[in-house]
Amino acid sequence: MNPERLLSLTNRWFSTSVGLTLVIFLSSAICGFLLLPYADADSRFSGIWDAICNAAGFPVKSSATDIIQPEFKISGATLGLAELTSPSPQSIGRGATLAQQCAICHGPEGVSRADAPNLAGQYAQVIYKQLHDFRSGARTNATMGPFAAHMNDRDMIDLAAYYAYLPRIPSSRDSAEVPLIVASGAPTRGIAPCGSCHGTIERKIGSPWLNGQPAAYIEAQLRYFASGARRNDTNQQMRNIARALTDDEIKAVASYYAGTQ
Amino acid sequence: MTSEDHAASAVVAQKIERRWAAISILIVVFLTAMAAVAGIHQATMPQARVEIIDPEKIHLSGEFVETNLGSAIEPDGSVTVRAVGQQYSFTPQCILVPVDTKVTFRATSADVVHGLLIQQTNVNTMLVPGYVSEQVARFSRVGDHLMPCQEFCSVGHEGMWAMVKVIDRNEFMSLAASKRRVSCVE
Ligand SMILES: [Cu+2]
Repeated sequence: MNPERLLSLTNRWFSTSVGLTLVIFLSSAICGFLLLPYADADSRFSGIWDAICNAAGFPVKSSATDIIQPEFKISGATLGLAELTSPSPQSIGRGATLAQQCAICHGPEGVSRADAPNLAGQYAQVIYKQLHDFRSGARTNATMGPFAAHMNDRDMIDLAAYYAYLPRIPSSRDSAEVPLIVASGAPTRGIAPCGSCHGTIERKIGSPWLNGQPAAYIEAQLRYFASGARRNDTNQQMRNIARALTDDEIKAVASYYAGTQ
Repeated sequence: MTSEDHAASAVVAQKIERRWAAISILIVVFLTAMAAVAGIHQATMPQARVEIIDPEKIHLSGEFVETNLGSAIEPDGSVTVRAVGQQYSFTPQCILVPVDTKVTFRATSADVVHGLLIQQTNVNTMLVPGYVSEQVARFSRVGDHLMPCQEFCSVGHEGMWAMVKVIDRNEFMSLAASKRRVSCVE
């Protein structure tokens, strides 16, 4: 048999099989792009092309009207800056000069003697975020607000680089005595272990290193998060946890991280 | 082997081939029909739209800012629930919905892939950063449901769950009348 005869419409086998394939193709297209999308009672298509494009998976930008905007400032700091992960020596040097104005509370080497947070060895993203939030008003504090108000982004990046560069204070506590709430959280109350974000097990960018922080400071911040007085944690990630903590747990966490337990 | 023997066995082979072809076509038809019936009647419809969103900016503006999360009443009387999943909690932590009402869940992730599953119901979807997951549900009974994260999302995963409380429709409406977004976070 010659090949031209085989692939010609006069060949009954050829025309039937091509015809059948076309019928299957068309009916599955109608089923998939029109019948099934419209069978969904909750589909809200503006027309036939809308239904086809949606079934084909063309992405649409999410839009919703009547959004309830917050009446407070939301933390808008961008933590992905490359300068925060690999700072230049100039940046660290400039940060050291700027840090002189912080030494009264945070200590000349970033270790406080006044229950202010210890900044030595803190993650650069954390320092940057908090300074940014103090300036924007997402976090309020009578002392820090005025300081941050006069800083530009460069100052904040340099300060973050300097404090991240300083050595952390060595831990003095006995690792055998980790409170249950720190070691394993309380999964039945929706509390993950502290270290799953704060760096000892895993680190979530923007979460501070807690070891060696003053107990009074940690306790106060947990209470602010629980009451909603502090809300510069993105999407309530810390408020959700702090609300679920008991009074005793807040105290245990604070004294554990302070190393006073 | 004679040529008659050969012809006879060819006939047998052809019969067997036809039988197997019929069986495989039946299997294809059965599976297609099953998918169609399940898709239409068992409410396992895939999401009708692919919606994209910038996961690094969801907390700043748009429908997933924290003050806009929770349950909202739509003009058509249905309820839309908006939620965000992140390491390691859902916001809001407690979701309030009315019974016997169409409820549209709209949720997304702020960081890694999470899962949203409401126990005792067929609500089950992944929360993928960059995409909005939407699923429609209707609760036929008043009661509480656990809503655990069903995708391992790193070491604190076991602590990630929320509560869905299904309450009387009138009670829900009176709560929603005073606030525009409702949740049962204390
Ligand atoms: Cu998760």
